[in-house]
This record gives sequence, structure tokens and C-alpha cells, in this order.
Amino acid sequence: MVLPVSLDELLATRSAVIVPDAIGRDVAAAVRARLAPQLVRYPLVDRGSYAAITDPREPELLAAVARIVTPVTGRALTLVASRVLRLEPGDYLLARHDPVRERAIEVVLDLSPASVPGAEVHYRQHGQVFLRIPTVPGSLAIVPTNPTVSCNHTYVSKLHAGAGVMRLIAVFR
Amino acid sequence: MWRAPPGWHDEAALAAAWRTAAPFPHLVVDDFCTPDALAQIFAVLDEEHVDRYEGDLFVFEASAPEPTTAEFRALRDELAAALAPALSRITGKAVSRVDMRAYAYRPGHYLLPHSDHQDGLERRLAYAYYLPSPEPPIDGALEMYRCTIAAGELVTTEPALVIEPRANRLVVFEVSDISLHQVREVLGGLRISLAGWFYP
Repeated sequence: MVLPVSLDELLATRSAVIVPDAIGRDVAAAVRARLAPQLVRYPLVDRGSYAAITDPREPELLAAVARIVTPVTGRALTLVASRVLRLEPGDYLLARHDPVRERAIEVVLDLSPASVPGAEVHYRQHGQVFLRIPTVPGSLAIVPTNPTVSCNHTYVSKLHAGAGVMRLIAVFR
Repeated sequence: MWRAPPGWHDEAALAAAWRTAAPFPHLVVDDFCTPDALAQIFAVLDEEHVDRYEGDLFVFEASAPEPTTAEFRALRDELAAALAPALSRITGKAVSRVDMRAYAYRPGHYLLPHSDHQDGLERRLAYAYYLPSPEPPIDGALEMYRCTIAAGELVTTEPALVIEPRANRLVVFEVSDISLHQVREVLGGLRISLAGWFYP
């Protein structure tokens, strides 16, 4: 269920909104197919192990995301950054990867083909997890951030052979 | 209970091996404890409670940072007494004190790449001692990385060495900005170890 709350309310309470089925399976599959050849492996394992695309050229997808986010936050927001992450078994992204987060709205769109047990996005404040976003294909999370907030993408277990997670991360202000 | 292993009388050779070990200085010592000593260690560990710990970097079970029984404290202090003098000479790093926690890694548990170095903590040497397991672990290896630093920043990290968590094996390595290592995910069985750091 989508709750209509203002940006100020979101920032004040640090609550997040989860929108299920924000993107259909067929659309997500088409996006994955377009993006796969552009993925580049991140090289520093002390921060993360994953493949990524910075500022993916997906204007229609990002516009659709903005159309979902705008009524939830109650104000027009501007997209300031985006990236796509793909994590496979053995991959992760640590909280120290992106140490400073501005006061903004961060959106996580799950483009994964299937749920992966334990593969989650964790948002933290002063190191303590306040939001766990499981891998739910098609879902979209809207999370207010500020400089005290960090985020990590949990380790994808090798016990789930063949698993794959793809997420679009978009930052709005 | 602990003793400097056989072969440690040739400290010059060990010091040379330490200095030339790649990707960063380390020692691997097999058959570290006698069977009698191992039985005593397990008797002490039977009384030490472990909890699950989870962070962005790790999932494992471990004892508390500070031992809860007098016997476990004694085990820790005896390790320092037995090894610190020789390790100081071999590594060129003056150490005297050690901490110790017991770890249990079950399937799905891991400790992702990190260096152990933190300003102000004075960790000089890290160690891990692998105990015999009723179900020997599948993977759970210690993996070391070769790092390159430019202008104070880490710019490359490459897997360089894998050390299996073989029963009764002691691993000691230098702690520095570039001592990047991980405990690879355990895929089956149980990986039991004692681990910690040596301090001045």
C-alpha cells in the first residue's frame, strides 16, 4: 500500500515506503537484457564486489520511477544520480563504500528475476540498521537519507548458486 | 598448554620467511598443539558461550570480546606468554599482550575483506588457530589480497593467497593498511577457531 506522506514527514520520521509491483516482470526482464552488456565490475574488494552502471541511459524507466515517487513525497523532485547494481553469489557492497549521503530521497527499484534469501539492502543510521529491504522482484523502496545514513547491500550467499540481484538506485532532491 | 612449536628454534629462518611472505608478512604453522593440549582447550571452550554476530562485513558465531570464564582468560594469557617473546623476535614487532575469541562459522557464515588495521587500537599481529571440527568445513579459507596504494588510497586489490583452515594450524600475519584478507564463506560443515590480535 502506498501512503501519501510529505517529504518533510518522511525526513522527520525517517520512515520508508515500499511499493510492491512497481514494475512488471516482463518490463524488468527487458531492462535487465538491455543493461547486462553495460555492466562494469567494481575493482576494490574492501568496499564491494559487484558490477555496476553509473547513470544508466534508461530515461523512460527513470521517468516512471519519478512518477511513483512524486505523489508519495508530495512534491516534485529532481533526479540527481542513478546507478544500477548487479550482485551474484559472493558479491556485496559495504556501508563504507558511500560514506556521505546527502539529505535526499533514495529509491531502490528491484529488477531481480527472483527472490534471493538473505540478499537485502540495509539502511543504517549511526551504524544501526533501521530498514531492511529484501529482494522482492518488482518492488520499489523510497528512503529518506541524510549524512548520518549509510547503506549496504548484504552478501549474496554462494549457497544460492545461480542467484542474481539487480537493483536500480536513484537519488532525488 | 601452549608452547612454541617445534622448529621455532631457528628464528633467523622464520624471520626471513616472515619478511618474504607474500602478499604480506605471515607464518603458517601446522601441528601446533599436542593432543593433550587440544583436549584441554576444548574443555575450556565447552564453558564459553557463543552468540551470533551480524554486520555488513560478517556473519558468524563468536564468544564475547572479553572471556567470561577464568579458564578462558588463562588460555588467552598463556598464549601470550608462550608466543609473544618469539613472535617479537621473528616479526620485529614488539608484542606482549593478546586477545582471544572463539569463533564458529556455519554454512553461510563469512567475514568479508578488511585489513584489521584501526588507528589507535595498536593491533600489531593477527592470529587464527583452527581447531579440529566434528564436521570439517567446506571452504571457510583465509584469503589474502595483494594491494596497491597510491596517494594514500587503495587503488587495486587482487586475490593472492588462500590458506585452508586445516585443523591444528596456526596462522599469524602482520596488521597494516594493506593486510587485506577475508574468511571465505563456509559452504558446509563447521569451522571452529580461536583468533585475535597481539598488542605491544
